[in-house]
Amino acid sequence: MNENMTPAIEVRNLVKSYKDVEALDDITLSLAANRIYGLLGRNGAGKTTLMSILTGQGYATSGQALIFGTNPYEHDETLSRICFIRESQRYPDDFTATQAFKAAAMFFKNWDHELAQRLCTEFALPLKRRIKKLSRGQLSAVGVVIGMASRAEITFFDEPYLGLDAVARQIFYDRLIEDYAQHPRTIVLSSHLIDEIANLLEHVVVIDKGKIMLDEDAETLRGSAVAVMGNAQKVADFIDGYEVLHRDALGSLAAVTIKARLTETQRQMAAELGLELSAVPLQQLVVRTTLAEATKETTPDSLEALK
Amino acid sequence: MSNIVNVARMQLINKWTFLGIPMIILVSSTGLTIAIWAMIPKQDGVTTLVSGSGQAVMWYFLALGIQSLTYTFPFSQAMSVSRRTFYLGTLGLFAAIALGFAILYYVLGLVETATNGWGMGGQLFALGWIAENNAAIQVLFYFVLMVLLFMIGFWFATIYLRWKTTGMLVTWIGLGLLLIAFIGFLSLNKMWMDFWGWVGGFTVPGLLLGLGGLCVLLAAGSYLTLRRATT
Repeated sequence: MNENMTPAIEVRNLVKSYKDVEALDDITLSLAANRIYGLLGRNGAGKTTLMSILTGQGYATSGQALIFGTNPYEHDETLSRICFIRESQRYPDDFTATQAFKAAAMFFKNWDHELAQRLCTEFALPLKRRIKKLSRGQLSAVGVVIGMASRAEITFFDEPYLGLDAVARQIFYDRLIEDYAQHPRTIVLSSHLIDEIANLLEHVVVIDKGKIMLDEDAETLRGSAVAVMGNAQKVADFIDGYEVLHRDALGSLAAVTIKARLTETQRQMAAELGLELSAVPLQQLVVRTTLAEATKETTPDSLEALK
Repeated sequence: MSNIVNVARMQLINKWTFLGIPMIILVSSTGLTIAIWAMIPKQDGVTTLVSGSGQAVMWYFLALGIQSLTYTFPFSQAMSVSRRTFYLGTLGLFAAIALGFAILYYVLGLVETATNGWGMGGQLFALGWIAENNAAIQVLFYFVLMVLLFMIGFWFATIYLRWKTTGMLVTWIGLGLLLIAFIGFLSLNKMWMDFWGWVGGFTVPGLLLGLGGLCVLLAAGSYLTLRRATT
C-alpha cells in the first residue's frame, strides 16, 4: 500500500486488561499523518496505556496497534519513527539534561541540536544539573525538548505541561506550532486540560474508562453544538427535537447546549425570539458530549466532569 | 546494528559508571592491600601473603548489572530502542569491558609474579590455582566470573522490573527452597563427603565450562524476562 495512504496510527479492537480492570476496552481508531491530535480524557482513562502500546513500550492483551501499518513492538525500524517521552519518564541516575540530549541525538536521526538549545534557553533549563535534582517543571521541560527536537514522524507528548509555569507552557505551545508549520508531522498531545491546548488541536479523541467517547475533527466539533440562552419557555420551544447536551436554569431564564448546526433562518428566528446564541468552547463540548455518551451507557459515576 | 552500538555509547555517556569507578576500586583496593601488607610484620616461615581484594571490582559488576538495567532501560525505551537492541548493546558493551578487565588482571598477575608479589611475596592477582594455567584460560576465567556476576545483577533487576516485589519474593523463596532441598538431599543421603570431594576435584577449565554455561542460561533468562517488561 502507498505510504501516504497508510494512516500514521491505526488501532483495531485493542484491548488491554489488567487483573480487575479493562484499561483499554475494544478501541478502534485511525489517525491520518501530519495533523495535531488531542488525546483527551480524565486521569486513569487509558491515555498513557494507549500511547505505551502505540510506541511498543507496552503490549496489548488483544487487538492490533499499527504505526504506518506496522506493529512497533520490538520493531526497531518502526520505533525509530516515533518519539514518546512519558510523563513519569525515568533517566539514567546520574544523567544531566545535556547528556540526555546527547543520547537523543544518537537515536533520533532528525534531531535538531539548535532547536534543542533554543528551547533550553527559553525554558531556562539548568543543563549541567543532574536530572534527578530538577524540579517537576524542569523535568517536564527535558521531555518537551526531547519530544520537539527529535522531530520524529510521530511524536507523543504525555501531559507535557505538568509543573510548567504559564510562561513556559505558552512557549511550548508557540514553538510547537511554529515547528509543526515548518516540519509537518503527526503530533499527539495527551491532556486532561483541554482549554489550554484547544487552539492547537486539529482533531480530538476523547477516551474514558478505556473506551473512545469521541473521535472528531476539531473544526467540525466546534460547529456541532450551540448554546441557546433566554426565556425558559422560548428556549424550550426553540430547541424542541434537538439532542440536549447540557441544561442550566436560573429562574425564568435557561441556557441549553444542543447538538445542532443551525441554519441562517434558524439564527434569525432565534434573534426574533430574543434568544442569544453562542459558540461552545471545545472543553465544554468535550465534557458535555462525553457526559451525554456516558449517560446513554448508564454509567452514573462517570458523570464527574472531565476536568 | 548501528543502534546496538548506540546503546553501548549511551551507556558510556557517563564514563564514570562503566570505566572510572571500577578503575578506582581496582587501584584503591590494591593500594590498600599492599599498604596493609607493608604494615603488618611478616611471621616467621610465612612466605606468601594472599588477599582476596582483587575480587572487589568483580562485585561492583554485580551492582553494575542492576544499575545498567534499572536506570538505563526506561530511558532507552524513550529513545525508541527495542528491548532486543538495548539488551544486545548493553551486554556487548559489558562483555568488552569484562574482557578488558580480565586481560588487565592477567597482566597484573604477570607483574605480580615478576616483582615477587609486589616485593612482599603477596598474591592478589596471580592466585596459585588459577595462575598455573595458560594465559587464555586465565583470561577466560576472569572474564566468565565478571560476566556471571553482571548477569546475576542484570537478571535480578529484570525480574524486579517485570514483576516488582512479587517477582523478587517468588525468586528468593524459590532459590531458598532449592537450596534447602539440595542440602537436605545431601544430608539425608550422607553425601557431603562425596560433594566436597567433587568440588575439590574441580579444574579451572571444568569450572569455566560450568560457570560459562550458567552465564548463557542467565543471559537467555534475562532476555526472555526483558522481552515483555514494561517501564
